[in-house]
Amino acid sequence: MEIERVKGKIMEGQPGFPRQYGPSRSDHQPGIPFFPQETARDFVLIFLLTALLFFLSAFVTPFLGPARSPQISELIVPDWYLLFSWGLLKVADVFPQFVIGAGTPLKTDFNAAFWGDLLSGIPVIFLLILPFIDRGREARPAKSPVRSAFGVAFLLAWIFTASLYSIREVVAQRWQTPNGSPLINDTAMKWFFVIPPVLVGLTSYIGLRRLGYQPMRKWLFPYVAGLTAIVVVQAAGIFLIPGWLGPEVRPYVIQLGIFLLVLIVPMLVASVAVFAVPESQARKWVVRSGVAAFVVFGALVVFFMNSGRPNHVAFTWVLSVLYPNMNTLVLMPMFAMLTAYMGVRRPYSTYEYLLNECYQCGKCHTVCPVTKVEDDALGGLNLVYNTFKKQHDGVPLWTCLACDACSAVCPLDIQYSDYILEERAKVHARMAADGGGKE
Amino acid sequence: MMETEYGPGRTIPHPVMFRVLDSEAEDTTIPELKVEHKSEFAYYPGCIDYYDVEMQFSHMNYGDTNHGIIFDSSIKLLRAVGIQPMILDRSFMKCCGHDQLWQGKVDVFERMRDYNTKIIKMLGVKTFITSCAEGYRTFKLDYKLDGVRVVHITQFLYERGLRIPPQPETAKKIRVAFQDPCRSGRQMPLDPVYEEPRELVKRVDNAELVELKTFRADAQCCGVAQMMYCNDKTKGLTASRMDEASDVGADYLLVACPKCLTHFGCLHHENKWKPGEERYAFKVMDVTQFLAERLPGDYPTGSNIDAKRKEPPLPGRRG
Repeated sequence: MEIERVKGKIMEGQPGFPRQYGPSRSDHQPGIPFFPQETARDFVLIFLLTALLFFLSAFVTPFLGPARSPQISELIVPDWYLLFSWGLLKVADVFPQFVIGAGTPLKTDFNAAFWGDLLSGIPVIFLLILPFIDRGREARPAKSPVRSAFGVAFLLAWIFTASLYSIREVVAQRWQTPNGSPLINDTAMKWFFVIPPVLVGLTSYIGLRRLGYQPMRKWLFPYVAGLTAIVVVQAAGIFLIPGWLGPEVRPYVIQLGIFLLVLIVPMLVASVAVFAVPESQARKWVVRSGVAAFVVFGALVVFFMNSGRPNHVAFTWVLSVLYPNMNTLVLMPMFAMLTAYMGVRRPYSTYEYLLNECYQCGKCHTVCPVTKVEDDALGGLNLVYNTFKKQHDGVPLWTCLACDACSAVCPLDIQYSDYILEERAKVHARMAADGGGKE
Repeated sequence: MMETEYGPGRTIPHPVMFRVLDSEAEDTTIPELKVEHKSEFAYYPGCIDYYDVEMQFSHMNYGDTNHGIIFDSSIKLLRAVGIQPMILDRSFMKCCGHDQLWQGKVDVFERMRDYNTKIIKMLGVKTFITSCAEGYRTFKLDYKLDGVRVVHITQFLYERGLRIPPQPETAKKIRVAFQDPCRSGRQMPLDPVYEEPRELVKRVDNAELVELKTFRADAQCCGVAQMMYCNDKTKGLTASRMDEASDVGADYLLVACPKCLTHFGCLHHENKWKPGEERYAFKVMDVTQFLAERLPGDYPTGSNIDAKRKEPPLPGRRG
């Protein structure tokens, strides 16, 4: 229509008028092409390295020592960075084992060794294909929460729990109940592969979205309340289902109840807080109940450990209930409180979140109208960068016109006026807290 | 807080207007409203009716800048495109809260926002028309008016196809420059008001639209924002913007924001104090006033302007 015709006459964005700014700009200058140039150089280096390795392995054989075997060493572990692989090999027997095509040349044996190989290949394969599935431009975790949460859950938490499983014998020997059975049994350690990574991933996602100024109530309440429900149901089951508690633990039901109460009450408080309380109050509720529960739990542990043998024994039997159910009874309260805190806390300030993208191109300075008339700004100042560094930016807080001329030219779409809004609101909040400002 | 040599106490004059507006925001009781002409269109004039009084009361402007005419012109223009809007008058609405928000008084702003939102929802407004760039930004971005379309009046007049009748043969050619407000341009990247006022001005057949040195997203600010302070430096910015209009030889400098009108008008009048040194031989007015003057007929609301008046108006809205 008419307005489209008018817009067609605008020279912005047309050849010779490159006025595209912000992350969606399409006028990227191509650098050196990847295919013939970069690849040629890289292949030269790769071949050189391979030749070097062949040469060394052929002529300079290192002494690796005798191979480990159960006869020489009781505990066989690889180097620490391969523990996860060893743990995955050990856990492979949870998968169904069967044979396909028996009696034919295509016979495939889906045994524990096969599943173990497959499992330990997954992290490596994932790392290899990561650059191909993840094409986003954002490098900062808070700006790509899905990817970051997946990475934290999978690459950190999952590999950590897998490594932990590889030394399950050590764990079983080191921590035992008074009657000599392992405190953390094999089933609990196998659940470590599933529950902690999921908790870590969801918590990271909620926390990172919150860093990006998102209100996270819709995520927070189902998550915290769901964890609370799981823990409450399991605690009820421990007491009510006959046969769950062993006969040795029966005399210590009261002590067990105290510990479970300390774990459950803050979760209930947090559930109510994230559901019904305004945000500033919810923040206080969550932090105070979490810190209180932490302190009380620590005090209980210290009390039971140091107040005579009967209490010490009682504490050990309480642990014999908590530890096998560590995934639910211990980890879920911790993650519920942590998530509730991260989900309602104040986000980053604009300083940290927005202004630190600046790469000091100085376009903001050239367009800022205030720097043209402020005497002390008539130099090579950089508005956004100096503000981020908390140096004098030439545009004091109350002199800025918030006209957004700087944001209009910013290649990274940094909204300087957001910073101005936030800082001015802070000053007024501080003046109100001091009992009214000087007017 | 960053280290500044200018504290808020020194640079914000806190004119009486803001005391009045802030204290108004304290009262949040919703009044009983009797609507004479129920309409899905509502026009919000903003705080322009305060300005004439405030500018003269706080000795900022003794000149002939007339803010109230924006209201009269807007109603005339809306009638011309067949709309009789509900007028969201300041007698029951509050200020939109833009200045309070940008001065950092977030609590005052939130009170105003909640109150105004309740009234707008109560009246069942579908299209919210404002003649003020700051109001446009504030109602569109900072309010959460779901289901209400917020438009600047130039957008509305453009899409409704405002027709300006041919001007008389004797009318001489005029050159018209347009100042892009920062609030409705750069700060509204998804729905900027750049083309609509220009297109409307082009419909006046004896007007030639000239662009200032900086325009659209590059347009320089009028010099003052959120009525925070007024000193020689802001005057310098205003002067440099008006010099741009002089350089292109404009006969009219049009604005779409009452604040720009205030500051341009102030300097324009100040410059007239020295006869013989007139730099700004052009008129400063709102784009709605410019268009309404070129429509036949009287102002339906009863104009408060007197073309024959030579003296500066007395304090008070009707002069």
